[in-house]
Amino acid sequence: MARPLRPGLFSLLLLAQACTGAEVVKPPEPEVVAPANPELPALDVAALQAGAEKDALVPSPVETQKALEAAGVATKLATLIPNHDFDFKNAGIDHAAVRTGVVLADLLLATKDGKKEDLVLRLGKIDEGMTQLGGGADITATLKDYQERIQADAVSRDDLLKEFDELSGVVIPELEFNGQDRVVPLIEAGSWLEGANLVARAIKAAPDRTAGEKLLKAPSVVEYFLKYVRSDNAAKAPEVVTKKLEESLGTLKALSEKSEPLTDADIDTVIRVTDEVLNLL
Amino acid sequence: MLALWSNLALAGENDAESCLKTKVWDGYADGWGVRTMTSATVPDGKTKNYLVTLYEGNEYKIRTCADESFRNLDVLLYDAKGALVMRDTTSDREPELAIKPPGTGTYYIVLYAQAMASPGGEGSAAMAVVYR
Repeated sequence: MARPLRPGLFSLLLLAQACTGAEVVKPPEPEVVAPANPELPALDVAALQAGAEKDALVPSPVETQKALEAAGVATKLATLIPNHDFDFKNAGIDHAAVRTGVVLADLLLATKDGKKEDLVLRLGKIDEGMTQLGGGADITATLKDYQERIQADAVSRDDLLKEFDELSGVVIPELEFNGQDRVVPLIEAGSWLEGANLVARAIKAAPDRTAGEKLLKAPSVVEYFLKYVRSDNAAKAPEVVTKKLEESLGTLKALSEKSEPLTDADIDTVIRVTDEVLNLL
Repeated sequence: MLALWSNLALAGENDAESCLKTKVWDGYADGWGVRTMTSATVPDGKTKNYLVTLYEGNEYKIRTCADESFRNLDVLLYDAKGALVMRDTTSDREPELAIKPPGTGTYYIVLYAQAMASPGGEGSAAMAVVYR
């Protein structure tokens, strides 16, 4: 039978151990386990708004076309694209960005059924804009590759639409444009403005506009563009197109915040104020 | 050390992005177009929030991929007033949400680092909004 160690003897053993320099073995400390995160994050509207990214905010023109059809308006937006007489020599940043966005929207909408020559021409115009904006050699090479494959009938329209979709939604937004933050939002603004103009024209001609008019109500999108074009944020006098864009977006924002359906006069206003910007490009 | 850390972070981002690109490209076969594809670093217990416009009448999917730093990435959808509309109930690194918006409007997509492989760590998560 084991006998318990007497306290006095235990102290002597410890003293002997200390004198010989041997290490006292400490009992292991209990492991600290971090508390698990809650199942849901604690978020209210203010927390959601704070620092919310805008990467996914702006719908694509093709997506808008689909929503228009789902709302009962069968018009193909591509058939409403006017023959734009743009000033492609104007290399002002805002002018070039908005103009390039418009051409990009037209390209996307016309990819399925447009003429081969028109697609190649539009890609050339986008390349011109990208060069003016400092998009870099890679985007130029990509655009030239599209042109060559279209001319050689080496790509189907379905595949082309996928590639243009990615060009518009992923590739161009990732370009740095020499650190000019406003370029991507202004390209998006151009595409959205062209889309809004065409949607308003389609709705105006439609027998039932009740569902379609909601597509023109996007206050968050308009507010996002306004942030970049407001003249009081500009370091220098704004370009002519920027000033007109600010005015037009202000009108569109007021309309998009209406709780009641847009009237015929409202639809006409959308067409007029978007035309005013498009005609300056 | 800093360069090594940067390379590791970049590798994580690339893992998440390449995983997501494969999903997005595969989705084209079923008629899904892409609105946007983006990636971000999310620390343990934190969120990354995205403002998004959704059109009534279209179908949407929020597709995600997170790197191996994550044990559970969650994706949630809130309306403009801050009410939770839907959330994923899986416990994995590639959650998805399928949405048929009840109305055209602005929503918030939230990526939530619910559990990391190493508590207190951070990782890269990629997110795409696709539509048809």
